[in-house]
Amino acid sequence: MSFKKIAAACALTLGMTATGALAEYPERPINMIIPYGAGGATDISARAIAEALTAAAGTPMVMSNVTGAGGATGSVAVQNAKGDGYTMLFARVGSHTVNPAMKATLPYTLDDFRFVTVYEINPVVCAVTPASGINSMDDLIAKAKDGGVSYSSSGVGSLLQLAAVMVLREFGIEDPLKATVHIPQKGGGEAATAVLNGTVTFICTNSSALAGFVSNGQLKPLLVTTPDRLEGFDAPTAAELGKPALEQLVGWTGIAGPASLPDDIAAKWGEWMATAVKDEKFLAVMDKAGSVINLMSPDEAKAFIEGQYQTFRKLVDDLGMRIEG
Amino acid sequence: MSFLDSLMLGLSMVANIESFLALGIGVAVGVIAGAIPGMSATMAVALTLPFTFALQPITGILLLLGVYKGGIFGGSIPAILIKTPGTPASSATVLDGYPLAEKGQAGKALGMALWASCTADLISNLALILFAGFLASFALNFGPPEFFTLMLFSLTIIAGVSGESLLRGALSAMLGLLLATVGLDLIYGTNRFTFGDANLMGGLNFIAVLIGLFAIPEIIAMVWNPKAFDGQKRAMGKSWVEFSEYRRCFKSIVRGSFIGVILGAIPGIGAAPSAFLSYSEARRTSPNKANFGKGELEGVAAAEAGNNGVAGATLIPLLALGIPGDVITAIIIGAFMIHGLQPGPMMFVINADIIYALFIGLIVSSVFLFFVGSVAIHGFKYVADIPRGVLFPSVLVLCIFGVFAVNNSIFDVGVMFAMGWVGYFMLRYRIPAAPFLIAFILGPLLEDNFRQAMLMSGSSPAILFRGPITWFFWTLTAITVFAIIRAGIRATRQHRALRTANQA
Repeated sequence: MSFKKIAAACALTLGMTATGALAEYPERPINMIIPYGAGGATDISARAIAEALTAAAGTPMVMSNVTGAGGATGSVAVQNAKGDGYTMLFARVGSHTVNPAMKATLPYTLDDFRFVTVYEINPVVCAVTPASGINSMDDLIAKAKDGGVSYSSSGVGSLLQLAAVMVLREFGIEDPLKATVHIPQKGGGEAATAVLNGTVTFICTNSSALAGFVSNGQLKPLLVTTPDRLEGFDAPTAAELGKPALEQLVGWTGIAGPASLPDDIAAKWGEWMATAVKDEKFLAVMDKAGSVINLMSPDEAKAFIEGQYQTFRKLVDDLGMRIEG
Repeated sequence: MSFLDSLMLGLSMVANIESFLALGIGVAVGVIAGAIPGMSATMAVALTLPFTFALQPITGILLLLGVYKGGIFGGSIPAILIKTPGTPASSATVLDGYPLAEKGQAGKALGMALWASCTADLISNLALILFAGFLASFALNFGPPEFFTLMLFSLTIIAGVSGESLLRGALSAMLGLLLATVGLDLIYGTNRFTFGDANLMGGLNFIAVLIGLFAIPEIIAMVWNPKAFDGQKRAMGKSWVEFSEYRRCFKSIVRGSFIGVILGAIPGIGAAPSAFLSYSEARRTSPNKANFGKGELEGVAAAEAGNNGVAGATLIPLLALGIPGDVITAIIIGAFMIHGLQPGPMMFVINADIIYALFIGLIVSSVFLFFVGSVAIHGFKYVADIPRGVLFPSVLVLCIFGVFAVNNSIFDVGVMFAMGWVGYFMLRYRIPAAPFLIAFILGPLLEDNFRQAMLMSGSSPAILFRGPITWFFWTLTAITVFAIIRAGIRATRQHRALRTANQA
C-alpha cells in the first residue's frame, strides 16, 4: 500500500512539474542575440523594444551583441541553440534575406530558423551629394550609361549592395555589375562617408541611416521605396517613377528562434510582441528612426521573408552575383 | 541667436546638478570599466546607452562622453599594473608602463598616465571647439588613396617599437599581418583562412588577441617556472610623479595630443594607432631614446597623450559632419538620434545651444577625469603590492571573463589561449609583441583602402598619387624608411668595428 502511495505521489509530482515547466515558460531570463554591433539600426531597434518585451514577458531579456561576418556569427549561435525559447535572435534583412540569397558558403539557410514575427520595416532611400550635379534618377541612370558611376555598401552581401544593383537594373541598366563599380566599405557609417567624400557616386540604404545627412543638406535623396512619400525626404516614390517592383526593397527587423522552436512558445512571443509594440517609448524611438511598425504573425513573417528572399535570389542568379568561395 | 546667447543658453543647460552628476558618474564608470581587462571603453559605452534613453538629451550624451573619456584613461591602469591593456587604445602604454611597475614605480607611471591623459584631453577638447569646421573639411579629403598612404607611413612605427632587432620586429609584424587576413574578404565577400568554421568568418576577435598576446604569456611563464616568482612581490607603489618630470615630458605630451587630434578627426582610424604613432615619435626625438621600452616615463606620457588626444577630436566628424569616426562614436551617434538630434552642419544652427552645452560639458569632463582618475589610482595602485601567486590567478579569471563577455563566445576564449602560447614563445625568443599588434590593426586598413582605391581608379596606380595629402605621406614614408636604413647601416658598421677592435 505504502509503495503504491509513494508511486502515486511521485507520478503526481512528476506530472505537476512537467505541466508546470510547460505552462511556466519563461521561467528564467531569455538570451536575445543581436547579430550586429552596438549603435546600429538592429541594435537600437532591439534595445528600444527590450524594456517593453521584458514587461510583457515578465522575465528579463538579456541582450548580447554577437557580431561578425555580416550577421552570420550571431545567427549561427541561435541556429545551433536548443529550441526551448531561451535563445532568440533579432533577425535582420541582411542576415536573413540578402546573405542567404548571395552566399553559397553561408552555414545556415532560412529553414534553420523559425520566425515568430517581423515588427519593423525601414524604407530604402537612394541619395547622392548635391555637388555631384545629379538631380534625379534619370540623371543618375544617364550618367551610369556613360560609365564611371560607383556606389558604396556596408560590405558584400549587405542590403546596400543588393539595393543599388536592383535599383539600377529596374531603371534599365542591363548589367549593373559591368556598367558600374561597387566599392564595399566596413560598415554602414563608412558607406555613407564614402558618398560624402566623393569616393562613390551614390548610396541606397535604410532611411534612418541617411535622415541626418538629408536634413543637413549634405545628401540629396533621389528615390524612396515607400508607397507614399516619406516625411523629411524630398524625393519621389518608386511607384511615382513607374517602378512599383522596388517597393520590395525594404529593411526589416524580426525575431526568430531555432527551427525546433515549438508552437506554444511561438504563440507566447506573438502575445508579448502585440503588447510590446504598443509601448510609447518604443514607438517614439522607432518614429525618430523613420521606421514603420508593422507587427506580423509567424505565418505572415515567413511569407514576407520568403517573398523577399525569392526576389533577391532571382536577381542574384540572373546577374551571376552568387558567391561560391 | 547671437554667439553669446547660445553660450549662455548652453551654460544654463549644463550648469545643473544632473549634468554634473551624469559626467561624474560617467567618468567613474568609464575608469572602472576601462580598468577591467576585456571590458573595453566600447563595451562600457554600449552598456550605458540604454540608460540614456530616459534622460534629457544633453544629460544622456554627457553621460556617454564621460564613460568614453574615463574608459580610455582607465585602460592604462591594468596596462601598467598587470601588462594587460584594458582597452586596445592603451596597448602602447604597456611598453614602458609595465617595466616601470616592475621597478616599483607603478604609482609614478599611473600618475604620469593621468596627467598626460588630462592634458591631452583638454587640448583635444579645445581643438574641437576652435577648429571643428576646419578639421572636418580636412577629414573629408581623406578617401581610400589618402588612407592607404597614411597607413603605409604608420607601418614605419614598427621600426620604432621593435626594440633591439629590426628583423625580429619585422617577423612579429608579418605574423600580425598574416593573422589579420583571417575572415571575410571585404571586396569579394569570400572566406579567407576560415577552414569552414563559422566562428572564424568574423576574423579573430581583437580583444582576445590583445589579451592573449600581453597578459597570458606572463601567466604561462609563471606556471612554467613558479620558483622564480616564489613569494616575489614588487615594491610598494608609493612613488608619485613630480612636476619636474611632467615638465620634462611636456613636449611629448603636446606632440602626442596633436597627433591624437589629427588622427581622431579623420574617421576610421581610432585611438590605438594614434598612441603608437605618438610613442614612436617621442622615442625618435627623445634624448633618453635608449631607455624606451625599458621603463621610460616619457614613453607612458606619449602613449597616453596619443590615445586621449583622440577622445575629443573624434567628436569633430561626429558633430560637424554627422560621421562616426570609430565604434564608440557610432554608439554615441545612436544616442543623438534617439533624442531626435541630427549631428551635422545644421545642428550648429538649429541646436547651437546643445552644441555649446556639450562644449562646456567636455571642458568640465577633463577636470572630472583628473579627480576621478586620482582617486582610482590611489585605489588601484596597491594591486602592484599583491604577491604574484595571488594576483596572476585573479588576472587569469578576469581575462577569461572579459574575453568571453565581448561576444559571449567560448571560441574567443580559445583564441585568447592560443594567442597566449604564441605570445609566450615570442617572449622566450625575444620577439617583440608590439609590431604584431600594430600590423594586426593597420594591416586590414592598408589592404582594404588599397583595394578600394584600385576599384575607384579601375586599377590605375596613379590614383595613389592624387593630391597633396598623398604626396605628403609618400614623402614622410620615404624619409622615415631612409632614416631606418641609415641607422641600420650605422649600427652594422659600429658592430663590425667593435668586433674588429675586439679581435685586434
